[in-house]
Order: sequence, then structure tokens, then C-alpha cells
Amino acid sequence: MIKEQGLYSPLNEHENCGAGFICSLTGKKTNKIIHDALNILVRLEHRGAVSSDGRTGDGAGILIEIPHDYFTSECKFDLPISGKYAVGMVFLPPKINQLNFCVQSFESEIKRQGLKVLGWRNVPINSKVVGKIASKSQPVIKQVFISSEDENIQEKELNTKVYVARKISENSIYQSELSQKNYYYFSSLHTRTLIYKGLLMPEDIERFYTDLSNPKLVTRLALVHQRFSTNTFPTWDLAQPFRYMCHNGEINTLKGNISRMTAREELINCDYIEKSDIEKLFPIILEGKSDSASMDMVVELLIMTGRSLPEIMMMLVPEAWEKHNSMSSKKKSFYEFNSCIMEPWDGPASIPFTDGNYIGALLDRNGLRPSRYSVTKDGYVIMSSETGVVNVDPKNIESHGRLEPGKMFLVDMNKGRIIKDEEVKSEVTSKYPYQKWVNDNILPLSKIPYTGNKTPAEEIDFETRLRIFGYTQEDFKTVILPMCVNAKEAIGSMGSDTPLAVLSNKPQLLYNYFKQLFAQVTNPPLDGIREEIVTDTSLAVGSDFNIFNINEKHAKKLKINNPIISNEDLDKIKFVKHKDFKSFTIPVLYDLNKGHNGIEQSLEKIVNEIEKKVDNDYNIIILTDRNVSKKKAPIPMLLACSTVHHYLIKKKKRSKFGIIIESAEPREPHHFSMLFGYGASAINPYLVNEIITYHHKKGIISGITRNKAIANYNKAIAKGILKVMNKIGISTLHSYRGSQIFEALGLRKKFVDKYFNNTPSRIEGVGLYVLEKEISERLNTAFNSELDINKLEMGGEYRWRRNGEKHMLNPTTISKLQQAVRSEKYETYKVYSDQINKQNEQLMTIRGLFKFVELDPINIDEVEPWTEIVKRFKTGAMSYGSISKEAHENLAVAMNRIGGKSNSGEGGEDPGRFKKDKNGDSRNSSIKQVASGRFGVSSYYLTNANEIQIKMAQGAKPGEGGQLPGPKVNPLIAKVRNSTPYVGLISPPPHHDIYSIEDLAQLIYDLKNANRSARINVKLVSKVGVGTIAAGVAKAKADVILISGFDGGTGASPLTSLKHAGLPWELGIAEAQQTLVLNDLRGRVVIECDGQMKTGRDVAIACLLGAEEFGFSTAPLVASGCIMMRACHLNTCPVGIATQDPELRKNFKGKPEHVINFMYFVAQELREIMASLGFRTIDEMVGQSQKLNMKDAVSHYKFKGIDLSKILYKPNVNESVSIRKTIDQDHNLDNVLDFKIYEEAKLSIEKKIKMNLDFNIKNTDRTVGAIISNEISKIHGEKGLPKDTLTINFKGSAGQSFGAFSAKGLKLVVEGNTNDYFGKGLSGATIVVKIPKESTFESDKNIITGNVTLYGATSGEAYINGIAGERFCVRNSGATAVVEGVGDHGCEYMTGGVALVLGKIGRNFAAGMSGGIAYILNEDLNKNHFNYEMIELETPDNQDIDLIKSLVEKHFSNTSSQIAEKIIKNWKLYKDKFIKVMPTEYKLALEKLAKEKINQIIN
Amino acid sequence: MGKLKGFIEYNRTDEKYLSVTERLKNYKEFTITPDQSEMVEQGGRCMDCGVPFCHSGCPLGNLIPDFNDAVYRKEWKLALDILHSTNNFPEFTGRLCPAPCESACVLGLINPPVSIEMIEKYIVERGFEEGWIKAKAPTKRTNKKIAVVGSGPAGLAAAQQLNSVGHTVEVFERDEKIGGLLRYGIPDFKLEKSIIDRRLTILEEEGVIFHVSKEVGTDIPVSELEKEFDIILLTGGATIRRKLPIKGHDLKGVVQAMDFLKHQNEVVDLKIDQQKNYSATSKNVIVIGGGDTGSDCIGTSNRHKAKSVTNFEILDKPSTDRTEENPWPYWPFTLKTSSSHEEGIERKWSIMTKEFIGDKNKNLTGIKTVAVDWKIDGDRRKLIEIEDSEKVWPCELALLALGFTGPEQDLFSSLNIDLDQTLKPLTKNYKTSNPKVFAAGDLRRGQSLIVWAISEGREAAYHIDKQLMGNTNLPSKIDGDLPSVK
Repeated sequence: MIKEQGLYSPLNEHENCGAGFICSLTGKKTNKIIHDALNILVRLEHRGAVSSDGRTGDGAGILIEIPHDYFTSECKFDLPISGKYAVGMVFLPPKINQLNFCVQSFESEIKRQGLKVLGWRNVPINSKVVGKIASKSQPVIKQVFISSEDENIQEKELNTKVYVARKISENSIYQSELSQKNYYYFSSLHTRTLIYKGLLMPEDIERFYTDLSNPKLVTRLALVHQRFSTNTFPTWDLAQPFRYMCHNGEINTLKGNISRMTAREELINCDYIEKSDIEKLFPIILEGKSDSASMDMVVELLIMTGRSLPEIMMMLVPEAWEKHNSMSSKKKSFYEFNSCIMEPWDGPASIPFTDGNYIGALLDRNGLRPSRYSVTKDGYVIMSSETGVVNVDPKNIESHGRLEPGKMFLVDMNKGRIIKDEEVKSEVTSKYPYQKWVNDNILPLSKIPYTGNKTPAEEIDFETRLRIFGYTQEDFKTVILPMCVNAKEAIGSMGSDTPLAVLSNKPQLLYNYFKQLFAQVTNPPLDGIREEIVTDTSLAVGSDFNIFNINEKHAKKLKINNPIISNEDLDKIKFVKHKDFKSFTIPVLYDLNKGHNGIEQSLEKIVNEIEKKVDNDYNIIILTDRNVSKKKAPIPMLLACSTVHHYLIKKKKRSKFGIIIESAEPREPHHFSMLFGYGASAINPYLVNEIITYHHKKGIISGITRNKAIANYNKAIAKGILKVMNKIGISTLHSYRGSQIFEALGLRKKFVDKYFNNTPSRIEGVGLYVLEKEISERLNTAFNSELDINKLEMGGEYRWRRNGEKHMLNPTTISKLQQAVRSEKYETYKVYSDQINKQNEQLMTIRGLFKFVELDPINIDEVEPWTEIVKRFKTGAMSYGSISKEAHENLAVAMNRIGGKSNSGEGGEDPGRFKKDKNGDSRNSSIKQVASGRFGVSSYYLTNANEIQIKMAQGAKPGEGGQLPGPKVNPLIAKVRNSTPYVGLISPPPHHDIYSIEDLAQLIYDLKNANRSARINVKLVSKVGVGTIAAGVAKAKADVILISGFDGGTGASPLTSLKHAGLPWELGIAEAQQTLVLNDLRGRVVIECDGQMKTGRDVAIACLLGAEEFGFSTAPLVASGCIMMRACHLNTCPVGIATQDPELRKNFKGKPEHVINFMYFVAQELREIMASLGFRTIDEMVGQSQKLNMKDAVSHYKFKGIDLSKILYKPNVNESVSIRKTIDQDHNLDNVLDFKIYEEAKLSIEKKIKMNLDFNIKNTDRTVGAIISNEISKIHGEKGLPKDTLTINFKGSAGQSFGAFSAKGLKLVVEGNTNDYFGKGLSGATIVVKIPKESTFESDKNIITGNVTLYGATSGEAYINGIAGERFCVRNSGATAVVEGVGDHGCEYMTGGVALVLGKIGRNFAAGMSGGIAYILNEDLNKNHFNYEMIELETPDNQDIDLIKSLVEKHFSNTSSQIAEKIIKNWKLYKDKFIKVMPTEYKLALEKLAKEKINQIIN
Repeated sequence: MGKLKGFIEYNRTDEKYLSVTERLKNYKEFTITPDQSEMVEQGGRCMDCGVPFCHSGCPLGNLIPDFNDAVYRKEWKLALDILHSTNNFPEFTGRLCPAPCESACVLGLINPPVSIEMIEKYIVERGFEEGWIKAKAPTKRTNKKIAVVGSGPAGLAAAQQLNSVGHTVEVFERDEKIGGLLRYGIPDFKLEKSIIDRRLTILEEEGVIFHVSKEVGTDIPVSELEKEFDIILLTGGATIRRKLPIKGHDLKGVVQAMDFLKHQNEVVDLKIDQQKNYSATSKNVIVIGGGDTGSDCIGTSNRHKAKSVTNFEILDKPSTDRTEENPWPYWPFTLKTSSSHEEGIERKWSIMTKEFIGDKNKNLTGIKTVAVDWKIDGDRRKLIEIEDSEKVWPCELALLALGFTGPEQDLFSSLNIDLDQTLKPLTKNYKTSNPKVFAAGDLRRGQSLIVWAISEGREAAYHIDKQLMGNTNLPSKIDGDLPSVK
């Protein structure tokens, strides 16, 4: 494993994977199961990844039953009967003395537990198959056999004892000084299960572990797994499966889970483990392991508590029970009770698990991983991420199923039967009287009586306190009041161009020194808006208890539904009189005259006091910053909260109390999120309440009561927090609490380690001294100011003010740039760029702190010409829709003229632009973006791209989807986007086909199929760990990786996201460059950089840090006339750029020349810098970070502590390792089935000749249809071929993305089944999947296609002879589909087309559906399953009925569906059994359009 | 933030005037107060720009979007507070400023800009009406004494600022009344002098001490000031008038505009009677110089009932619209027509005065001129006289409105102050080479706008307080001034 260096940290690694199992229901043990299971991995190999050596996989393995007979014959020692001994699979250090030490240490622990070692067996291996990288860390592998001295020992007891022995020996060896201690690892140690795993390619497992091919080695079950890690430093021990489970997905809440688990250790106690041994088990979760490994270690412990494996899984990964309106109260009570013990381990997760007796799998509440299973008539269950991974004769299929969100699938190996979700859960939830326990003990806050205000009034007046806590009029106007009125956070636009907190001259709140982390690629952000049913913001406060005891005590908790609480609610808690709760309020103030020492002393006092109180059974601690005075200043609440949280974790007392905050500080969602993130359980923003009261009294908030205004504000904050949580993919505040998902930017590492332990901080910065200085400055000013609220500072964070925060784009820079590009004067541009560069130097950005090392200058004539340089320039992704047609085309024409690239943005593009204009100009955007909304993404669109960009995140709002406000969606834009005019569009936070890294690899593959000549570009946003993500993306075969800075622009984004999420690109580019070079992956990818790039100097720095292409957005817009109105979201842009108002658009004055002049100027300035540094070409310059130095001239008190050496770090690698792009990715397209089809279909495609072809298909045949469609689009354009010109019939299980982007004229028919993303981006083709003729199961009860069917389809037809998985027809904007049942979130975000469902629907149907129509067969339909926010249910009219009938008939003719047949035969009966789902706004729009048409006819 | 689409829905309205015949009857202001509803609409036209160029274009850094919004929301008191937070005397700028804010207004790109100046004026007038503008004497005194020499807008602004933080401020004025150019240079029809007095009363109540008819260096020795005061702030203006030393310049009837205007102001103030040599009545008046002072002379001459009024400007006629070299948001060098121009004037451009012609009694009878042309010569423009273009204009009163060349020098030498090439004090943060002496206003900057004078006074006060106290709570506009087009 490579050590931490520069910005690279191994802690940032992520993983995702393919997993599966096979088991025999009849109990038949075979060796074939092993081969079949391993073959699953081979068939899932596209879900894994390979390192730069081409041999080292990210790790794979197999779990089987202990092959008792095999071992009896293989071992040279005697074994007792099965179940009376445990087998350990052990990794040991290669150094013999160290190996011996480990063996001895383990054996002595075994002895201490009263156990004995029966013997050791050397596991036969074939090292030749190991890859070069993996062989460097290959351990010695042995098996150890252990039984008890006590022959009557129960199996459970034996497993407990070996667990204790193993844990203790692990802890003692890891804490030793052994140089190879990290080798020591037990893959498994159990009486039932055994794991063979390693850093191997799936097909090599069997060749490496020769045991596995021995026919005598037999098992009833086999669980397999392979990793896809983001980088190439995976290790042997992190290969999966783990001892009880394996995991496909990512645990987003890991940090919080680990710290809560640590806190829980203090309470652990158990009858059957020696008290002295218990302490030696800690830490339960070993440091530095993967999320899945950590979870497995908790599962192990919970097994020891006597809970069953299914119960444990329900506890760790609960269903979304909180808002489930049809769940039984028994089950809800179970979940609620267990929520008092354990927070959810939240994130995308499909978790196969087994203890040898049970084997099963569980899916997270969002259903974010695919899990398909098949049961065969001859008694096998096959479960895997994809269907079709084991060849089964269709006749032999009993049923096909899938795991549903939050549901469990379990096989009882001993009884040989499948236990359904309801049955398992019913059994688990009946074990104790959970309902009674919950009712008797949980105390809802609303149940505490309010007895009047007891908090004394403040002595210092309101106005002064506003100043002490740094409020400005802008805070009122822009931040707080909109929330009071609208109950949601205000929206802003364009990027942030103010200095980082650490570089600002204005006193900053501590919150501003932290940036929110967010999900990209390795896990998806959630959509808390449309998928609200899985989210929850309630919290429970109180003491925790020993997890080994299962009793009602755990439920003694105070329950708060929205933990942003009013003054009244806080008073209730402060003065609560209840046997289970005792609260204590402690001020967090310090003596101003003692300065930063005062803060330290106060904090020390505070934690000591709290510790005492906690020892005296106080279980609610309220931290308050009330009662400030001239002498007593407030300690930053975040600092206080985190200090208390961490100190008491260290003291092992944290689980005994909850922290509640009473503070004047927090006002924005970011502030609140941080407090929760560092351990708070409820927050009362009392000063904001006073502010609201003031404005209400003055009549500025009118039309609602004061209480309503406060409630609105609290609600807005809760929604804002939800958004922040969702960004990182967390659904519940319960598991967000304490999860610390932030990065510090500009704080001293020492300070962060002390007070915010485990939070990354990479450029050093200020510490307590400066923070205190900022507080005292505020306090002094406050007490010296006039007591007039009108005279409060104006602000200037969001809109430029002279006295406010500095902005890089201000009147001077904007006017000078515009003057320069219009007058074509380089001198004027230099005035502009000097201003910007000088601003940088005045500490606004990190790059401002660098200075060039100008040692070997050359003549500028030797530098490559500007015309070459601008080919590397791009304009940013701004959609047609967010900006006007004029502005959008202006950029395209300009960039095409100079050979640069413009970007379509996510709004699709009018096909009229794909052909050149008469004057030779091209309005075609060279880069076509594919974002989560998939607006207008069709085969033809993709075919016309030189580069296709997958937007994983956007700088201005990473982790969130785009939004285009309704007024901007005029009919033309609606047409390009296939949506409804004037209905606002939200693109989902996640790409619904990318929940993990292997999904991204799949989309890259899809797009590469859709256009083989286009480069695939993946857009990421800078954050800690972006380097490892970039490595994963490089392994997923992206051609270009764009790293955006957090400060990039937007047409609309919540203010919190604009300011507080993501990092500057300097850190991101440097981390990506360093990590990719260390991985030897840099040579395969281009790195691109954007985010407030404005001058040649900016470009030069990005290049020296590792970028070779460069994007500009705001600056070319300014060149085209943008004056930074920041009204893009309002549609009122006065200069005709970010507006669709036809009158305002007339004001657009930009010309292509303006943009070209800007690009020329930047290139010219860059050339001057290149000459001064001695570079002739950009290629020479990439990554030469030694040419940068930290500026030493600047001497600002805040700046002194900053250390940029990590950014400038240049990894020490040998010369063969590229530091810039040198070779192309191998996209492995040679074996694509489409090429074979194309050979035969060529004539049909070219000459439109009707043709029918037959092929076999298997799950490794992915994205079938895309290449053919690309060829059709090239020849026939948008129109495609005449309908059904080319019909291709397939037999088998089709791989992912079957029919993706399939063009008109194609008809693709699968007899068998298909996987995820069926018909993704369907572009006019007809696609059919039907059950094989010989199959006997009922189509409407079995799953036939996977998740996310028809995602972003724009036209075409689909006939699905069975059930589809989750998110059927998501973002469908024009296709017609018939299906026999769908999972959760059906028709989500649909904007057009028709869906006919002839069966059941899952929960949350039609969420965010703003267009199109769905018809559903109304037979035992659960009406609670609809999301009614945007739709109404109607009875179909005659026209509808006709349509339904014709669709059913077509369905029948295409699939021979039995249900279709039944309906047709009984049409009279069925014709009234349909229900119509109609989006409200769609209906209005249709009516409006119809009227317009009538008017047209009349006129 | 104003009204979302206010800038589309409402048209700009300007302040309305009484008819020309009506207003020529006297020297009173002739504007008509608009309705409140109209003001509210005009405030609603403000777009609350992300980058408010007006705020940058205003030398005071007026928080224009913020007070516009307050007016739109009818929060007049808040608007007033916002306005006063950057501007001591909005009633002056609201009447007299050429409003560089409006020429920088973003709305001006597509529509007539927001009527910022009108809004400013009526915010402050509303404030006086409502009695919101009251003296606010400092609660504590610092025992620091500051002498302000010169009582124009720069001196007054500095005085109020410095007094507000507790310093004892004494203002020395050599004229009989306080106000400098405001008092003596601006005709009443543009600024009635009661408006100045109204504000001076407040300053006096706040504790500013005024000395009139006291010329420093003459009536009071400089050494005394240096002894008595901690800081001396020079705000004496740029009072040296540009002369026209051509043949006949000493004829009777060739009058400096400032003498003419000052005389008129004293007449209106009933201090003195109208003198004949300063009367335009029944005369052919030629005003030489096309600037604001010239315009004031025109207005005054018309009120005198001159026989004819003609205006000469040596430069060529500016274009009515912005040119490419002079784009938004920079100060527009375009043709401006003032209310005085509306009252009757013949304007001549590209004309140069060659000689004043007199009779034997040395009375002015005419002016000889020549037409000129401006040729571009490299970066500069060069004047060329056009042959055979001489012309003689009948004229009995010539008013020289040629601007000012700089400050008077006497005090500088007695205070030992270093000067720059243009004979203005060298300053850093308004401090001269003499650490006790600061300078601000036209005296430091050269002739300029009232709004700049107030700005200079405020900024000087900021730096003076900082020097005296170590730190200051006085506001400063910091940087952010819109650059020049060059």
C-alpha cells in the first residue's frame, strides 16, 4: 500500500463491486457450486477493475461451508465432528520470525480461552497467477484448526471464544512493533464458513487456491464477491467476502458510525466474556479498514450479543419505516426501538450475508444496488448483481425475483426453504414486546407541557448582540426572511467569487472555514425532494445502554421531530421534570481579556463540568451562548459542541447524554448542518427568533403570524439540512449526527486534530489565536457602534458592496474586460488581468498565493502559437435554457472558429445546429453533456459530439441536480428538452444509472458505444479524495477527467451550496495529478480544469499543477455582455444572456469576436508566462509544479499559517510513468455484439432494407444496439430508419443497457430477460423483452428486467413481459412503454411519453412527474403508493381507453403476454379497470396548447 | 430587492419643473415634488444587481440598491439611514450631482437608468419633513481638537464626521457665511440657501464650531492654529480661476463667472444691492466655457432678462450618445442639456475667443472669435484654427467660466507642506508632509464635483480619527471606485 504523501491519502479509497451467491435448497453439497459461483464473478468482471499492470484485480473471493470431509482427508491431524471445531483462514507475514511470532501469539490466546490448536495446514497456492502489484504484498496463507478442551462445548460458545481470542491477538499484534504486522489477518475463523480470497482477478481465484478445483471439496453454498476500488492500492485483507457478509455499495455514514461505535464500547458488558477480556476486544472496529470491513466487525460483535443475523441486518440497515404509512406498527416499533440503539449504516448497499445456517441478502432503503435472484426447479437459488450470470435452462426456472428497497431475502439452509421478507421480519419483530417498550418509554417533545418562558431576558440589547454575532442586513434580507416567508432556502445564481474564509479580511464565523463533502461517482447523492419517503430528520436524545442487553431501557429517549427547536421547546427541555431525563445548561463564554487562552481554559472547564454532570446522571446537556457581555465573549458554538463531543468520546462517556445547542450564531443551513455533524441533537437559534420577531413587529414579514414565520424558518432549515445530508447520500439525520462529513480549509492541522478530530485539513491555516482575534474584533466593534439596527452593516457576501466582502468580479474588472474584448485592445485586457491577478495576490484564492519561479526564460517566439493553445480551451457547460439561444450559439460559433470546444450543457441541443451555417460557422456544441436529467440525450445528439461529458457534479452545487425555473422553459426549450412548456424542471441529484463506480464505467461504455469517435469526459468537483475518485474514473475508462472548482457558476442553486460545498480546483487538480501519477494512470487520461478561471495566470497555474485542458464559463459570458446581475434564476437578465424573455433577449450584444478576443488574450498572457518559465509547449508544462513557489511577500496575519507544500508536491516516480496524457484508453469495444450484428445488417442499415436476424445473448453482452444506432444516426440523422426496418431477435439474458440510445427503425427483441438500464436513452427503436416460450412461471409475478428502465428515453416503444425493477421510466420524456408491474419510484421525473402498467406498482409512483401519462390496471392497487405532489388520478376518457386497448394489443402481439391476452379477451370487464395518472401542470399546459391551436385555426 | 420586473413594467420619470416662464420670474428652486407612489415605482425599477455599478460609480459609495429597495418597500426611515451612512449631505448631491451613478446604472444599458438622484433627494427631504434628521451630538468628547480651514462641502463633511466621534471641531471660513462654493458658487434656483442653513443648524447643534470672516493666515496666524489644534485639515478648495489673458481682457464687462455668481447670491441673500457691472439686464451676454458654472451663468443671465445669451465652448460638440471609445459604465462625455440651457441659450462649439473689443471708455462691446478644428495627433487632440473664420459678436457682458487652476498657495508655505507638480499638496491617506496637516476636497484633488468633495471630507476624517485614536469606527468607502475609461 502506498503511504500518505502530498495530497494523496489512502483513507480516501472507495470501493464498489459485484457480488452474488448460489446455494442448494436440497442441501446437496457439490464442488460445482464453487465453479458456478466463481463463474458469476467472471460474468461480472465488467463490474470490477484492473490496475495498470493489467493483472492485479482489486480483490475477489469466495465463502463456502467448511468442507469437513475434505479436511478430514487432507489434514495430517484428526478432526472432531463437524461443528465441534473452527477453521481459520489466516494471512501471515512472509518474514519467518514475524510469522512465528504471530502464530505463537495467537496460539497463546487460544489457550487462554480454554481452546486448543489441532493443527496448521499450509494452503496450497499457485503464486504464478498473482499480478505484479499484488505479489508485492502477498501474505503466507495457512489454515488453522481449533477445538475446545471441553468436548461438550456448544457451537455458539466455541465461536464466541475463537472470536475473543482472535480479536485480542489481532489487537496485540497490531499494537506491536512488528514491521509486517499488517499482514496478520483472518479471512475467516468459524465453525461453519471458510473464505478463500485475495488480491486476484476473479478467474484466478480457482487457479491460485488449488483446493477449490478439487472435486472432493464440496459445499451447499457459495458467496462470491469482487471489488472495484477507486485506485490501485487495494490490499489482500480488504478483498471480500468478509466473515459474515459482503457488500456492494458504500456506507456514507461510516465516520459517524465508527465514532458512535467507539462511544458504545464503554457500555459493553456481557456474562459470557471475561470482563478483563472485553476491554481487550476494543477497538471493535479496527482503524483504517474499508466501510464494508468495518460493518462486518460490528456484525460479528452483534452476533456475540445473541441477536440473529437477520435481526442484526434489520438493525444496521433498516427499511424506510419513518414515513411508511402502511407498515405494521409492530414492525415500526421494532425499528423505532432499535433506532434508540443503533443509527442506520446508510448508503447504497446490497449485502449478501451468511453464517452457514442462513444465507441471504438485504438491500438499502433506497434500493440503490441491483440484486436479482432466480430459483430453479431443481432446487438452487442464484443471487447476484445481474441476472443471467449462471446459465439455466428456461424450463428449469421456478421464479425470477429481485431484492426490493429495504427488503430481505433469506434461505434457511437447514430447512431448505426460502423465507420471505415478511416472514423473517415478523419473526424477528415478535421476539420482544417492542410496541409496548416504545410506547412506555419514548417521550415525544410535544408531550412535555410548556409552562411559560423561564429563560431570563438578555441584558445586552438586541442590536449589539446582532453585531457581536456578525449579522448583516444581507443576512436578514437574503438569508433569513425568505425562509420565514417561503419555508425554503433562497436561490442564487452565478458562482462564488469571494475569498476563502482564511483569506478574508472580514471576521469569519468558524463554520465558514469548513466545506461540505458530497457524493460523486462512488456513491450517489440522494434525492430528498422526490424521494422524501426514505428521509427522516427526527432525533432521539438521552443515554445509551449496553448493546448486549436487549430490554426496554434503551427506549428511554426524548424524541424530537424537527430538531430545529423554538424557544418554547427549548424551555421545555431546559426545565424538564421527568424521571428519565435530567438536563443541565452550561454557558459557553470566555473571558475576553484572556484572549485565546481564555477560550482554552473555558473549554476545559466546560468539559470537566459536563463530565461531572454526566457522572451524576444528567443526560441532556444544553450549551448556550446567551448572556454575552463586554467581558464575556461567546466561544464559537461549533468549537464548543465538537470539543464536548470529542472529549467525552475520549473519556468514553459520550453515549450517556445528548447535546442541545442554544445559540445566536447559526442562521444558514450550513451552520446547522455542521453542528449536527459534530454531535448536536437539537438546536435553538434564539437570536434568529428575535430577528424574526423584530421584522414581524415592523410589518416587514406580513400576512403570517410570528410563530408561523418561525416555524417556516425552522422548516426551511430542516429542508436545507436534508439537502446537505442528501448531497453525501445520507437519508436520516440520525445517522448524519456526528458523521463529520466536512473538510476544513485554512485551519491549522493541530487545531483541527485537537478539536475536530478526524476532519481533514490540508493546507494548514489559522488556529485559535486568529479565531479569537476575529471574535474580539466583532465584540469591540459591536460595543462601539450605534444602537441602530438600520445601521447594521450591509453585507456583501452575495452581492458586491464596497464595504462588504471582496469579489473578483466587480465593477472594475467587469468593465475593463468588456472594454478590452470590444476594443480588441490587449493593453486594456492587461489592466483587467492585472486587477484579477493582483486580487489573487491580495489573498482571495489559493492560486493567488503562488509565485512563478522564473529561472530559465526563453524568447516568446519559441512558444507555441496562440492558435494551438486555444484548442485546449473550452467554454463551460451552460445549458440552452439556463442561457438564451443567442448567448449559447454565440459561444459555440466562437469556439468552433478557433478550434476550441463549447459545451451544450445539460439541456440537449436543437438538431438544426448540427449542420453548418451558410457562412461556414458552426453552432454545434463540440461537447455534448449528459447530466442526470438526460434532457434531449438521443443517439443523434450523441453522434454529433466530439466529446461527451458526463456531469457527475457541478461546482456551484455538487451533489445536487440542476433546476430550470418554469418561466425559462419556453416552448422551444421545452421541445429541445422533451418537456412541458413553463413547467419547471429539476434534474435529479444522482444519475439514476450511476450509483457507484462500476455504474459509471457502464455509462462510459454506453456512451462510447453510442459514439466511438467521441472522447468521454467525466466532470468531477474538487473535494478531499477527488484524487482517488479520479483514479477510479480513469480505471472506468474515461478519456478526460474534468476537475471543477467549487466556485463555478450556476443558473440557480441554493445559497448554502454556492458557498459551502466543494473546494478550490487548486487542491483538486493537484490531488488528482498526484494520485493518478502514483497509480501510473495519468498517461491514459486528459485532465481538464475549470472554476472561475479568468486569466492566463490562472491557466498557467492549473497547468503546472497538472491540467492540460482548461474551461472558462463566467469570463466568456462577461465578455459577451454579462454584468453579473446574479438574476439567472429569475429570468430577468437585462442583457439577454440568462433569460428566455423574448424582449430581454433582444438586448444581447455579444459577438463571437468578443469571446475569441478573450480566448486570444488569455492565450497571449499564458504565452508570456510560458516564455518566462521556459516552456515551449503546454505538454512540457503539465505537472511541473516545481515552477511554483509560495508567495513570501504577503504578510497578512491570517495568511501566515498556510502551507501549500502538499499542493506543490510532485510524486517521486520513475521515468516510465507519465505525468501527462500519452496513450489512449483501451475501451474494449472489439468484442461488442453489435459489430457482429452490423456485419449482417449493413445492407439493411444503409439501404433501408427490411431484415430479421437472430442472435444468442448473455449478460456480458452489454449496451446492445448502441453502435448500430450510432451508424443509423450517422447516415439517416434524427429521422432514423422507417419503423421496424431491422428486427433482431435475441435469446438469453441480455446485459446492462440493452437497447441503449437505440434509433428509429430498429426492433430489438429479447426472449429471456434483461438487466438494468433496459432502453436507456431510447431514441425511437422498439424494444421487447418476453419470457421464453418454454418457461412456466407467470410473467406478472416475476421480474424480467432490472432497475432504471427507459431512463431518459426520448422516443420509441418498449414492451416488457414481466415486472421491471425500481425507477421504471425515470425521466422518460417520450417513449411509450407497457409493463406488467414496476418497483418503487415508477415514472419518477417523467416529462413525456406514455406508461401502461398491467400490474402492481411500488411506492412513490409518479414522484416529480411533470409530463406524460401513466395508465395503471386498477386491481388491488395501493393508492398510498402514489406521490401526489404533482399528479392527479383520473378516470380515463374514451380516447384514453382506445389508446390503452391498442397498447395492450401491441403488447400481446409483441410478447404473447398472458395477462394482455386475458385483458383483450375480457375487454368489457377490464376497460373500466384502468386509472389514469395525470400531471396537473401537464394537463394545464395541454389545455393551453389546445386553445392556442384553436385560436390559430380561428385566426 | 425592488420589484422583480419593475424595470420592465415602469418607465423612468424625472423630476418635473415649473415652466420656463414661471421659473424665470425668480431665483427659487423650480422642481415639482413627485407623488410618493411615483417614487415607490421608481425605486422598484432598481434591479438589485449582483454587481451594482452605480455603487461603484458613486464617489461616495452610496448604497444605492439598498435605499432604492427601502423606498420601494416604503421604508423611508431605513432608506434615510442607508443614505446617511455614506453621505452627510444628500440634500446637496440630490440637487447638484451630475449623477455618475446613473450613468453607471446597469439598467442604463437597455433603458433609461433608475432616477437615483431624484430618489436620493426625496429620501432626504422626506427625512427633514418627518423630523427624522436631528442633531446627534456625541456622548463623549475626546479632548482632541481639529481645525478645518474652509467650509465647503469637503470641510463640512469632515467636520461632521470628526465631531460625531467626539473630537472638537472648529471650522474657519474667510467669507461671511459658511458653505464655500455651495453658498457662493451655486445659484439659488439650483440650491436655495436655506437648504444649507437647515443642515448647518444641525451641525452647530451637534457641536461643530464655526468661525466666519476669519481668514487663516490673515485674521488668525497659522502658528496659532498649529498650537491650538491637534490636526489641521485644509479644505480651502481650488479657488484660483483660470484667466483668459488676451487682448481686451481688462475691459469693463469682462467678468469672472464666480464673481458674477457670488454677487448674485449675495443679492438674493439681501446682503447687497444689484450692481450694474454685474447685471446682465438688456445686455448681449456671452458665457465663455461650456461647463456647469457656465450653465449657472446662463440661468442667472436669463433671470436678469438679458437681451441675448450665447455660450462658447472651445471643444467640439459632443455626441448625444455614448461612443465606442466611451462605453458604459464609464462617465459619458456626451452632450448635456441642463435646465438653464432649456431657459434660452445659443450654444456654440469649436469656437475660440481671440479678443475682447471695447469702446473708448473701455466698455466691452464685442468679442472676436475664430472657429477651430480638433485633429487627432497620436494620443492627443490638437487644436487648429480655421482660416478666414473670424467673427465679431456684439457683447456687453462676457462671463468667464473657464474653471479653476488650483488652490491658493499661501498656507502651504507657512505650514511647510510639500507640493506636487500641479502645486497641490502631496498626500498619503489625505495626510500632507506635515503630519499634523491633512488636506481634502478640491484643494487636494483639483476642481471636481460636490460629491467628490464630500467623499474627500469623509475619507480624510476617517484617516484623521485613525491617526488620533489608533483605530476608528468612522466609515470609509474603501476602494471600488469605477476606473476611468482610459
